[in-house]
Amino acid sequence: MNAVRIAWRITRLNFRAQLEYRSEFLMMIAIGAVWQVSVIVFATVLLTRFTGMGGWDSSEVLLIPATRMLAHGIFVLFLGRMHGIGKIIQEGMIDTYLVRPMPVYRQVQLSVFPTNAIGDLTVAVGLMIGALSRSDLDWTAGRITYLVLCVLGGMLLEAALFTAVACASLRFPAADYWGRWLEELLGTFGSYPLNVLPRAVSGLLTFGLPLAFVAYFPAAVLTGHGDDTGVPYWLAAASPLLGLVAFVGARWLWRWSLGHYTGVNG
Amino acid sequence: MSGSIEVRGLSRTFHTTVRRPGFTGALRSLVQPERVAKDAVSDITFDVAPGELLALLGPNGAGKSTTIKMLTGILTPTSGEARVAGVVPYLERERNARNIGAVFGQRTQLWWDLPVRESFSILRDIYEIPKPEHDVRLREFDDILQLSTFWDTRVRHLSLGQRVRCDLAAALLHDPPVVFLDEPTIGMDVVVKEQVREFLRHQVEERGRTVLLTTHDMTEVERLAERVVLVNHGRLVLDGTLDEIKKRFGSTWQVRATLADPHAEVEALPGIELLRREGPQVVFGPDDGPDAPTVHQALKRVIERYEVTDIALDEADLEDVMRAAYIQAEAPTAHEGG
Repeated sequence: MNAVRIAWRITRLNFRAQLEYRSEFLMMIAIGAVWQVSVIVFATVLLTRFTGMGGWDSSEVLLIPATRMLAHGIFVLFLGRMHGIGKIIQEGMIDTYLVRPMPVYRQVQLSVFPTNAIGDLTVAVGLMIGALSRSDLDWTAGRITYLVLCVLGGMLLEAALFTAVACASLRFPAADYWGRWLEELLGTFGSYPLNVLPRAVSGLLTFGLPLAFVAYFPAAVLTGHGDDTGVPYWLAAASPLLGLVAFVGARWLWRWSLGHYTGVNG
Repeated sequence: MSGSIEVRGLSRTFHTTVRRPGFTGALRSLVQPERVAKDAVSDITFDVAPGELLALLGPNGAGKSTTIKMLTGILTPTSGEARVAGVVPYLERERNARNIGAVFGQRTQLWWDLPVRESFSILRDIYEIPKPEHDVRLREFDDILQLSTFWDTRVRHLSLGQRVRCDLAAALLHDPPVVFLDEPTIGMDVVVKEQVREFLRHQVEERGRTVLLTTHDMTEVERLAERVVLVNHGRLVLDGTLDEIKKRFGSTWQVRATLADPHAEVEALPGIELLRREGPQVVFGPDDGPDAPTVHQALKRVIERYEVTDIALDEADLEDVMRAAYIQAEAPTAHEGG
């Protein structure tokens, strides 16, 4: 309980500190929203020019970017500091975190308030409201619960991927560039039904880089396309669980990497 | 809780890639990298008793910071063992963190965008310090370090001297028995340096904290350290008191006398040897024996033995002594490495 209290207190203070730089604060919110412009354009084009995509109708497709964006926004808010950790490592802050009686992972997350997450989440919530209002599905309690679990699973999966990159950055700071590539990839391919892509590419985005589990498979299961994803139905349905497993694995890797940390000057 | 530090055969090896010279060499290194092991710290053993202030000295790259990083739990040693206040730092990092305070002069442990006082209160929560205790300690630190004049300022707007004083207070707020200071006064002006030294003296003498200090400032060593450990090329070269170091690494004084009789016969005196003679001018220094006199005793002996028209004293300062120690320590290691 004390850990939650401390985390809340630090977040509150960090938020207040950001508020004091008014222009910077507003700019960061705008950046968070503008960064997602490709998703907004995609959604607009999808709804105004096409009736569907890859056998999905447009309202069903919209659920994919909405789920991904919401998962991404929550990731940025709670666990997003793993992305771009190279700067923290280069400045030697990991050394400072290691001499405090608090998990280093938590300290990294609490190092700054992610103002841009406000922009990300605003776009994401708007998109989700749009997707749900256009959806013909019967949103039963079970479906809503599954959607919530999928968003959380997507967040954990994204956190797991960036944590893995952060682990590499602990040893090779240049690995941080892979984080930018990863973000680009998630933004580019995360909003489509992956069955529109060549089989090799969709296979790679399923088993190589498990992007399909963030939003595509969950949306497929929710909209009744769960049998047409190229993987067994149960695997697609287990996406939230996979996110959790990936995150637990990434945290283990993080702990192992910290044990082998050699410092910035070493 | 005992604030001792025990270090036994501690070693840390880093593996790096050798850079070959030239463009072709760079390409070869890319295809066929040559990995070498570099011993940053090699088989170091020493103890620091509770309530003792020990200066860990050595030239740049000697292994001081790596040693401190292993003792604070930042790095895991390749071999050997260390205990800080009874805890193995790299095995129980968080438990060790509660027993130690650490200041790295070149970086802050405070929250960059927050006023200092907010950082202090976050640390109070993290270390679970009762508020009355926290307030008393903060008042005590403020008395010596005069923090209240700037503790409502954001850390990013503090001068270096103000920032390090705040870092010192932050490192000691939870009342740790052991404190590690890695070049805490680097870049400070003389007034602030003296303030920090007074604070450290107070912490050791009045509060009984164990302090391990690295610094290149010999005045600091002379004013604060009871004992010195000298490392070079990752190896422990000397562990002793300042007096022992002065005795071992070069004359600590010279007496220059001008003799009334330029042709007088001059010979060594008890504990004193003749270093050189140029006409009527003679220079004496302490011999290598165990009974070398102090500079004042030497002066008395020279005046009693010879008729002099002028006499002068040169006392080597600690910086000269350490320079000699570093140079002499370099020789055997260079030989081993070559």
